Amino acid sequence: MSEKFEPKILMFACNWCAYAAADLAGTSRMKYPPNLRIIRVMCSGRVDPQLVLEAFAKGADGVIIAGCRPGDCHYIEGNYKALRRAILLRKLLEQLGVESERFRLEWIAASDAKKLVEVTHDMVEKIRKLGPIRVVGEVGSVE
Amino acid sequence: MLSEGKVRIAFYWMASCGGCEEAQVDAVSDEPSLINILDIVFWPVAVDFKKEDVEKLPDKSVDVALINGGVRLSEHIEMAKLLRRKSKIVIAYGACSSWGGIPGLANLYSREEVLSRIYSEVPTVYEKDKKPTVKYITEEGIELELPEVLPILLPLNAVIEVDYYIPGCPPTPETTLNALKILLSGKLPPKGSVLGASQRALCDECPLNVTKPEKILIKNLSRIYNTRVDPGKCLLIQGIPCLGPSTRGGCTALCPRVAMPCIGCYGPLETHTDYGGKVISFLASIIDSKDEREIARIIEEGVPDPAGLAYKFTLPASRLRLNLMKWGGRGA
Amino acid sequence: MPDEPRIGVYVCHCGTNIAGLIDVKEVVRYASTLPNVVIAREYIFMCSEPGQELIVNDIKEYNLNRVVVAACSPSLHEVTFRNAVMRGGLNPYLFEMVNIREHSSWVHIDRREATEKAKDLIRMAVAKAALLEPLEEARVSVAKNALVIGGGAAGIRSALDLARAGFNVYLVERKPTLGGHTARIPLIRYLGIRGDELVKSAINELVKIPNIKAYVNSEIDSVEGSAGNFKVKIRIKPRLVNSKCTLCGECVKVCPIEVPNEYEYGIVKRKAIYIPFEGAYPPIYAIDLEACTKCGECVKVCPVGAIDLSEQERIEEVEVGAIILATGYDPYDPEKGELGYGLSNKVITLFQLHRLLDERGVTKGRLVVNGSVPRRIAFISCIGSLRTTPRSYKFCSRMCCSAMLSAAIKILEQIPDASIYVLHKDIRTYGYDEDIYWAALEKGVRFVRYKETPEVEVQGEDIRVYVRDITINEYLEIPSDLVVLVVGMAPGKYMRQILDVIKVSCGEEGFVNEAHLKLRPVEAPSRGIFLAGAVTGPKSVIESIIHGSAAASRALSIISKDLITGEAQIATVNEDLCSGCRICIGMCPYNAISLKQVNGRTIASVNPLLCAACGTCAAACPSGAMQQRGFKDVQLIAQVRAFRG
Repeated sequence: MSEKFEPKILMFACNWCAYAAADLAGTSRMKYPPNLRIIRVMCSGRVDPQLVLEAFAKGADGVIIAGCRPGDCHYIEGNYKALRRAILLRKLLEQLGVESERFRLEWIAASDAKKLVEVTHDMVEKIRKLGPIRVVGEVGSVE
Repeated sequence: MLSEGKVRIAFYWMASCGGCEEAQVDAVSDEPSLINILDIVFWPVAVDFKKEDVEKLPDKSVDVALINGGVRLSEHIEMAKLLRRKSKIVIAYGACSSWGGIPGLANLYSREEVLSRIYSEVPTVYEKDKKPTVKYITEEGIELELPEVLPILLPLNAVIEVDYYIPGCPPTPETTLNALKILLSGKLPPKGSVLGASQRALCDECPLNVTKPEKILIKNLSRIYNTRVDPGKCLLIQGIPCLGPSTRGGCTALCPRVAMPCIGCYGPLETHTDYGGKVISFLASIIDSKDEREIARIIEEGVPDPAGLAYKFTLPASRLRLNLMKWGGRGA
Repeated sequence: MPDEPRIGVYVCHCGTNIAGLIDVKEVVRYASTLPNVVIAREYIFMCSEPGQELIVNDIKEYNLNRVVVAACSPSLHEVTFRNAVMRGGLNPYLFEMVNIREHSSWVHIDRREATEKAKDLIRMAVAKAALLEPLEEARVSVAKNALVIGGGAAGIRSALDLARAGFNVYLVERKPTLGGHTARIPLIRYLGIRGDELVKSAINELVKIPNIKAYVNSEIDSVEGSAGNFKVKIRIKPRLVNSKCTLCGECVKVCPIEVPNEYEYGIVKRKAIYIPFEGAYPPIYAIDLEACTKCGECVKVCPVGAIDLSEQERIEEVEVGAIILATGYDPYDPEKGELGYGLSNKVITLFQLHRLLDERGVTKGRLVVNGSVPRRIAFISCIGSLRTTPRSYKFCSRMCCSAMLSAAIKILEQIPDASIYVLHKDIRTYGYDEDIYWAALEKGVRFVRYKETPEVEVQGEDIRVYVRDITINEYLEIPSDLVVLVVGMAPGKYMRQILDVIKVSCGEEGFVNEAHLKLRPVEAPSRGIFLAGAVTGPKSVIESIIHGSAAASRALSIISKDLITGEAQIATVNEDLCSGCRICIGMCPYNAISLKQVNGRTIASVNPLLCAACGTCAAACPSGAMQQRGFKDVQLIAQVRAFRG
């Protein structure tokens, strides 16, 4: 019974910064845990909290929204909208019983592959300690 | 689909406040001719039908069953399934049966916490150790079986297949009559549709919408109870969280018309996957600040209870379907 | 989707880059089990000719209508495969790319885990691909003309550059003369040239070029349309004097109205009919509509009949592809009582001082105040900047230190025994202007550094300046014959009117924001609108001119092409669903969203040429009516739902 719990982390990565950082981590052959799955969006401002809630509902143990650093957004200000939503969403998630560590908003510049790797390591470790997300099963015909 | 002449209609209430019952009477009062065509076969609030009376009905002999209230007791599941068998069309009437309604907020706590609060912690309770039990023996030695309080409150569609929804807390007479007209017309929309209400968000019919500037950015959020507002201007632009932009219209914006913010009782639109998530999205997006601390302060002041605001009527239907525990699936 | 999705999945080996770690055969096998997948293949180098041909052929042979390629990063080959898909006869946006190299085989070490990750990512992509729709970019032909708003140093430069590149330019200036504040600077030190000479030489160039049409005494009435096709209405206000004018000046003698002369920063008055300054272009007198009482005295004396008091304003409509905003600045205007300003003739601003020192000015360059030559002069710098007074802005205005010390040196050349104090927060004579600082020091200017803003006491003819010198920590009382408030540059007085017609946004301080300080310094976020000169913040004349050139070159990026193309994955409004709540409009930094009327309802509308395709408005849309093509809610939700399989 020593199967280590492997968290499944979903990251919404903006095309111009975070996704590019992940690419750079690749071309630099950096190594990091395989727990991350990236969904590419053009801007972190595209990430609707509905998507984050859906991810948790579908069993994501952790969710990261990764965008450009404040002031650097390719689309001027999308990341500030992401910031505002993340702050309110975090408050909501805590009320709904989703631990604060499971949801993160990270600013990852295109050149900052190192940060992407660090964030992944850190997230995986923290969530491994928390355990899997507990979500009520699909009840009846609510779909 | 409807029986010749009369419409055989059943009403049922589950975890309900009785408002929907009043709303149904209000609606029929506006159209008294309906009385002539409604053949009421079950109506617990007004008439002393018993469960056996329903069981005796042939399957699918009831034309339409309007069920309101959330599913909170095992008895509710039984009756819902019974009415499903007996009815051609089952409609979730009102916010509670559609998405859980306000009682759905109890899902933020465990059943034990809820029962403890009601039966032990409230200061006016006298015998603090008594809690409802499924089996109970009276002083005379009679064994009673009481319904079980379910671990969480569910919307109706969690336990049976629901054909249509009539939204509102309660649905206005206009919404109810619109829905009944559609049913009586025989031209039924696709299963799962919301009847009688608008297909658009509330702002479409709100008279205050035109008072908005083109760009909406607000510097502060506050609560209606401690804020003086200009009743002639949109409440959202005055910093009051009004859920009109996300909420289905159809109520003619009754609340904003009297300077009260929409709290979302007509529920989500077709496009929403999670109503509360969308509320969070638009409300946070319009905060006019780029500073993390400032944004947190604005939110702390104006939205101290995001779940209560965003999921006031829809928590049980939310994607994270609280509380986060595996429900045993009893009766599902 | 009207058609059943038929998806082809292609897994690339990338030599051993992917196949070295990932079990490609297993991935292909798995892909073929996914819903809607008709064919799944592997190939050693998908980006190669034969690799792409696989896609092209399969589309035809298997009647595919969606393609997924699992390979390297889309930043490398998304375009390659989109083209292959197009050659196969499909819309290029019916394609989804999965990164299993940079995001899996290159960053993991365990074969099983890397393979599982690849399978997960492909499963997610296939779920999204099933819901992809064909997309087109909007294409509109470009009006190959430009509009420059503002005829100062920057605006004239922009107009010249664009016109020399062969394009028609409309140059619109609010005042009756070109040249802006530059024309009133007696000496631009770097160039060793007078401001009005600089402006004159630029204008001499301008008049030789036929494709610049200059409108003076004109404003922008309205701007419709968007990049590539702006429809602009220019309001030409009546000058009331026409080109018959010979500059004889007889009209001035009989005009009964006097108002402060803004071209001399208020130190003298002018008449309602006036020539702004010597050498002003066009060389025609003008009548100040606000001051003129239409008494008609000037008409009587004009020998050539150049005055027509009945002239009406006209509107001219032009169509341009790009707009350059070069409306400049205005000096900070101290209010009455602020450090004694307005309480005495002996307290003036730096701009006024420059007019007094100008050899071609009202005093012929002789510094005389209230009839006598001032010997004790105090400059108080940073007034209006660095938050020195309650009304002051917080920024440093860049140019004032150099201008102040140049003026001090000039005064000492004229009045060698003058005692000059310079009260300053810092001295910011940057770059080569450091020379000015040393020259001033050597000439005996006394520098006093302050932290708390000095006070100026005006008692009739007696002016005293009080300051705490923080270097020696002593209070000083400086009796002065002349106090010069060194004021900085502030946002233009007419910014409000500009903002009414042009969709740009201003920062806290009132200057216009550029799209990105480093990456896009001469453009507004709204496509097609460019920024030149002090409109974005304090600049020297040279910096403004350079800025003007830069803005012109950026404007060329639009008007040098025949077509302007939008993005394909733009936001789009479901008009049936939109409730007109207006939340989206404030989300867009590109001003791409506006309101329109449909069947009596006011709803949102996205300009496909301005939308930058970020999707922020779609996420904020409370009703889900706004969706981003290629990243619609249903598409992303499908991708999220497929996350754990």
